[in-house]
Amino acid sequence: MHELLLFASVPSHQHHELLQQLAGLTAMQPRHRLERRLIFKAYRKPGLVNARGGTSREMQGADLVRLNKMLNGGMYYTQVVGPISGADFGSKPSSSGDLDATMSGTDETAGSSYDYDSQPWKLEFRDIPEAGTRSTITARLTASATLPKGDIVTPMSAWGYSFVTEYVVEGDAFIHNDIVIFLHRVLQYPVHGHEPHEPHEPHEPRRQMPSFRDLSPLERTGSYILQAAITVQDGSNQELMRTASQHLFGLREQLKTAVRLEHADRLSLDTRAK
Amino acid sequence: MSTLSPDQIKSLEQSRQRLIQLTHSLGSLITSLNQSDPLPSWPSLQSQASIISSNLLTLSTHLSENHDLLRSISAYPSPEFPTRTHGNTLEQLLRTKLDPRVEDWVGRGRKSDNNNTDMGLWGTLTSNSAAGLSSTGQGLSGEGNVARLSEGDLAALWEWAPVEANSEARRRNWGGDFTLEERERGVQSVAAGLGLRRVLEDDEDESEEEEEEEEEDEMEVVGVRKSVTGSGFEFDIAAASGGARQEGVAPVVPLDDILRYMTTGIPPR
Repeated sequence: MHELLLFASVPSHQHHELLQQLAGLTAMQPRHRLERRLIFKAYRKPGLVNARGGTSREMQGADLVRLNKMLNGGMYYTQVVGPISGADFGSKPSSSGDLDATMSGTDETAGSSYDYDSQPWKLEFRDIPEAGTRSTITARLTASATLPKGDIVTPMSAWGYSFVTEYVVEGDAFIHNDIVIFLHRVLQYPVHGHEPHEPHEPHEPRRQMPSFRDLSPLERTGSYILQAAITVQDGSNQELMRTASQHLFGLREQLKTAVRLEHADRLSLDTRAK
Repeated sequence: MSTLSPDQIKSLEQSRQRLIQLTHSLGSLITSLNQSDPLPSWPSLQSQASIISSNLLTLSTHLSENHDLLRSISAYPSPEFPTRTHGNTLEQLLRTKLDPRVEDWVGRGRKSDNNNTDMGLWGTLTSNSAAGLSSTGQGLSGEGNVARLSEGDLAALWEWAPVEANSEARRRNWGGDFTLEERERGVQSVAAGLGLRRVLEDDEDESEEEEEEEEEDEMEVVGVRKSVTGSGFEFDIAAASGGARQEGVAPVVPLDDILRYMTTGIPPR
């Protein structure tokens, strides 16, 4: 599958107005969306290098090159996305209690309805956006797959992925013809010691959700990102891709007075693991 | 009576040449005025006028240089002159008084010379040419200064002209590329017809001001709306996450950094 994207930065004070404008444009109420997103990074397994060395003698040169490419070039960041609801967040009024619960470990506390073991997950792979061809639009290869529920680190690590970090995406989605409009922002989990700027990251996903109040936006001013996306099943069909691009450009024109939709910097969406 | 020296004959001959040049250029101006329809363009008229005026200048310099000679010599017919065939020329040469028409010109020229104001080209031209044509050298003294205003007059003119031109321009209330008639007919249609963007400056200023006012109005409305929604929204945020925030500020973290964080978990700097 291919994904065509346009992005815009929306200042927090414009968020409410834009929500209403989008609701009017798409003739639908916003669908509120909360997602846990876990970032995994591929790492090279020590055994694989040896295996390659052992098999190389029997392989042809071209095969060796291809294998090398797969092993060295095929290292990507990938995301594991789990939908959550507002009720999943710590329901206790006292945030400190939730913090303690979060930090206390894996034990589930009474009063929180979040069940990590039944959390559904979806693997979302995004390639680095295509270079050059469509400079005014971001196009990238995507793939997604449903993952087992619950503890996700074990299977991911078995596939050669290590957990990097996680965050929550909060936003509202609209559907406008074939365009998915997602007005969202990134929320970060509270960090131990109440020092949100300290880059302290746990080594596995939280089993306990903190109170929603304790999440802090990554962007301090609370700005949102407007993302307009069209997913094309067959990315090799140039006709379809062109049509999709034109639809996105049409939306850009419609929203021109409100926000400036642009393609994103390719390298900021670079999923390759170095 | 003595015969003329070769030098004197030469200076007479020079006078003749210069007069021929002057009459040529005058004649060509007259023919171009008479024959071309519409009238010749300003540049061509001006170049002709400048040719004539330089002719006049050289002629009058020459005449004043040879003033004594021209004063002293007089024409009389020699026996060999072909009187029968060139009687008219002889009569012209032997005249002691000016032709009545020329007398008028000279009179007018002298008058304007004495007044020394309103000395237009034609004033100098007539007086000079009349003086030249008379060929008796009457009153040629000081002719070289006729074409020029005195320094004081020039200064006065320069002092007077800018102020007067400015007040005139103000009184006309004109500007841009349009005449009064066009303006009365309607500048918009003319401007649209010509595809011109520049209309009368006053009108443009006014319309610009109006536009600016409109823009300002819009800005105010938007600003108020933004601040209203912004404050309401800020309240929502504060309730939701409890973070300290300013009102209506632009995002500090670039979009690219947010996307990078979303992609790879590298926190924005």
